[in-house]
Amino acid sequence: MATKKALTGVKRHSLSLIFLFVGSLLILFTMLTLFNMIFRQIVFDTEGLLEAAVDPVVVKSIVLTLYCSFLATVIAALLGTPLAYVLARHDFIGKSVVESVIDVPVIIPHSVAGIALYALFMSRSPVGEAFSNIGIVFEDSMWGIVVAMLFVSAPFYVNAAREGFQSINPRLERVARTLGASQWKSFYKITLPLSVRHLFSGAVMAWARGISEFGAVIMIAFYPMIAPVLIFYRFTTHGLAGSQPIAVLLILICICIFIILRASAKYWEKKK
Amino acid sequence: MITLENVSHEWDDFSLKNVSFSVNKGEHFIILGPTAAGKTLILETIAGFYVPREGKILLNGKDITHIPPEKRNIGFVYQDYSLFPHMPIKENVAFGLNMQKLPKAEVEAKVQEIMESMGISYLQNRLPSTLSGGEQQRVALARSLVIDPEILLLDEPLSALDPRTRETLREELKRIHEVRGTTTIHVTHDQDEALALADRIGVIMDGELVQVDESYRVFNEPATEEIATFVGVENVIEGKIISNQDGVVVVETGKYQIRALSNLEEGEVNVFIRPENIILSKVKLESSARNRVSGKISRISQFGATFRIYMDNGLSALVTKQAIEELGLKVGEKVYASFKATAIHLIKR
Amino acid sequence: MLAIAIVAIVSVAVIGGVWYYTTFAPEEKVLKVFCAGSLTLPFEDIEAQFEADYPNVDVQFEPAGSVACVQKITESGEECDVLALADYNLIPSMMMTTESNYADWYIIFAVNRMTLAYTDNSKYADEITADNWYEILRRSDVKWGFSDPNLDPCGYRSPMVIQLAEHEYGDDMIFEDLIEANCAITVSEEAGTYLIDANMTDLNPNTDRLTIREKSVELVTFVQEGGLDYAFEYSSVAKQHGLKYLELPVTIDLSSTDCENIYKTVKIEKTTTTSTGEPIVYGLTIPKNAPNPTLAEEFVKYIINESGQTIMSNSGQPPVVPAVTNDISKIPESLKKYVVQ
Repeated sequence: MATKKALTGVKRHSLSLIFLFVGSLLILFTMLTLFNMIFRQIVFDTEGLLEAAVDPVVVKSIVLTLYCSFLATVIAALLGTPLAYVLARHDFIGKSVVESVIDVPVIIPHSVAGIALYALFMSRSPVGEAFSNIGIVFEDSMWGIVVAMLFVSAPFYVNAAREGFQSINPRLERVARTLGASQWKSFYKITLPLSVRHLFSGAVMAWARGISEFGAVIMIAFYPMIAPVLIFYRFTTHGLAGSQPIAVLLILICICIFIILRASAKYWEKKK
Repeated sequence: MITLENVSHEWDDFSLKNVSFSVNKGEHFIILGPTAAGKTLILETIAGFYVPREGKILLNGKDITHIPPEKRNIGFVYQDYSLFPHMPIKENVAFGLNMQKLPKAEVEAKVQEIMESMGISYLQNRLPSTLSGGEQQRVALARSLVIDPEILLLDEPLSALDPRTRETLREELKRIHEVRGTTTIHVTHDQDEALALADRIGVIMDGELVQVDESYRVFNEPATEEIATFVGVENVIEGKIISNQDGVVVVETGKYQIRALSNLEEGEVNVFIRPENIILSKVKLESSARNRVSGKISRISQFGATFRIYMDNGLSALVTKQAIEELGLKVGEKVYASFKATAIHLIKR
Repeated sequence: MLAIAIVAIVSVAVIGGVWYYTTFAPEEKVLKVFCAGSLTLPFEDIEAQFEADYPNVDVQFEPAGSVACVQKITESGEECDVLALADYNLIPSMMMTTESNYADWYIIFAVNRMTLAYTDNSKYADEITADNWYEILRRSDVKWGFSDPNLDPCGYRSPMVIQLAEHEYGDDMIFEDLIEANCAITVSEEAGTYLIDANMTDLNPNTDRLTIREKSVELVTFVQEGGLDYAFEYSSVAKQHGLKYLELPVTIDLSSTDCENIYKTVKIEKTTTTSTGEPIVYGLTIPKNAPNPTLAEEFVKYIINESGQTIMSNSGQPPVVPAVTNDISKIPESLKKYVVQ
């Protein structure tokens, strides 16, 4: 009796079950790759991990990575939100060109992006010179890191923001205006609150993408070393044993931050 | 109170061509037209979301064509109500008042008052997604009316509702209009709605305003054949005027003659008669109706609660089920169709 | 709500900024060193000594393949104070030409030797000797590798070793069996000189047997993990990473100036230049566009002085004592006493 019930249940949900099985292969793939490394590090070389955790060079590097990506994300949001809104609401000649340009950083090999950024921002270029007059140098500085991270992570924010704005019916904005709201008030009181979820998600994605950037950053700012560069450097000098602990530490920290961010997002949603 | 003068504008799928009309203060004006993209665009133009390529819009004599929507004090209710999903009902209704930066106490008082009068106070802390269609409609109306707009624009307000709710809300709209007297421009494709609510109707076809008249006249005296077909004048017969004496014309159709009232002297005409104006009988009726035509029933079709009887003489009439049973109407039976001269509308061909 | 978010973001930005400027104090002078990967470890020890005497200087290493190091200067327009490579030849051939003139002199300061690195877990580890290593590499269940000849000197030296082995062991199939059968590199012979052709963008290694990587240190990892059985590495690299290494006959391991004439019989054509078999010699220079030339000279002293030589020796890279230069007239004054021509 129970088996019969179970079998009918399986048949009824057969699509979902098959999809679940197939999908779990992908999750398994990601999890195994990560867990294998993390597990081996924690179990077979706990010392190495703890050493890395208290090594000031490592800690500084990780904090620097998180902070620079944070700055890059803030810039992406400040500049990208207006851009995303225009793209969501208006059609114009050359719009597909603009949208393609936004996505280009995703396709470019990272080292190519790095060289391009270096050529534009080095102190000897017109742009670099202009900036150095106000005290901002890009080579081997935090600004270079931020610029490289911004380049590769901006598309993630803009696309998420644009989809967020597109999902909001323009009629809501129009009704608000008939009720006396100016364009700004309508954006601030209607569009923005309704799209916050998308903007936040896009920002988290952009921040995550920035943290992992290596090829572009290493060209313009090898120093100060962000975590990916430090891992590479330690790999050169000490091989896997020297670099894996840092990689595992970075992953664990990022996983924690992600969990906190996504949980607080859910909490805010529920509260409403 | 509000006047459109020669307003023209083009969009991708629709264009307004030289639209001119006026709506008087306190009037309930309905723009009637076949279902198409255009009607919402007309209202949005009046509201100020599009600046017409040509023409002017005047509100109380002042040219508002270039004034932004937020300064026009025009209320707008979309077909899908467009309630702000992230605000509870109370905040939705209060939105316009808050934009005016009124003191909190005053806003609260006004909001409570209108919610009471519309019977939606019990909804005030709920979110829009939890409301039924009829409830959302009431909230949308309350939101727009509470700011005391010069004009209220309604975009197919009843189309998205089930028939029963539609009737209830139609009465509600009528009541609100009588109580508050807000000048209203309302677009719809539903003729019953138009007949029930309109003071005047503007018929729009293909972006042009083809007739503006009191409702009764639009339905009984459509200005062109297209309008007639749209508003459902089913009987169209070709004929020729053979005489006119003191306003009474005789039209020869070839099969029979029709007496109608008209100023037309002569010429080829189309004769329009609404099916509900035709009375059927088994025997010749003595009545004030000047026209009596006999014929055999060729077809009987059912339309909802009514039946349409088609005759071989080209006329069709609307009857109830009871009438069919009482008269014993069947295909092939001979019947007499009587209709008054006043029920006939002539348009020159 | 938005106000709280803005305050939070601005605070994080400001606090982070303050932390950054205090932690990564830019008042220190920065000495930039582009060096070959295999030099990073001993150079870190040298850096420790240098910074003990010059506490306000921060020495920053950017390790990369030797060719990549030079290209950063000659092609990307980057600058460094000291350039140290695993193949001194790259300096005259890529930086002292009429079209590309970035250096006037170079100093040879250490040598290295080609070996075969492995672990106890490598297949046939208990069997392998200096006499049979090529036989073992021929076996179909053995996986081995070397680095990319076009990017890493250790990489282009590996096929040379294999070609030189043919004469040493009297077996003229070694190159064909090991190299030509497993990738696109070929060799041709003319009047006693062997020209290896690696001038191609896709080396197309048969990955079941042969692994080719950009940097030899990647191969180190594979050998440590067990994914590779044998890799051609410098003895210094094998030693520094705790691998076992097989000492090869001196006639083929590119380590001795006594065997120069033997090494000369093999050349390899790469995408950039053609190199002739030579002892593996480390060279350094201070590029003409170095931002801090005087400070650079000080650092170089610490490489070629006695303590520097001890450090190099301890890491498996025998120093050249005293350091040798190509043209003593071009050497900066303060370094003259450390070198001979």
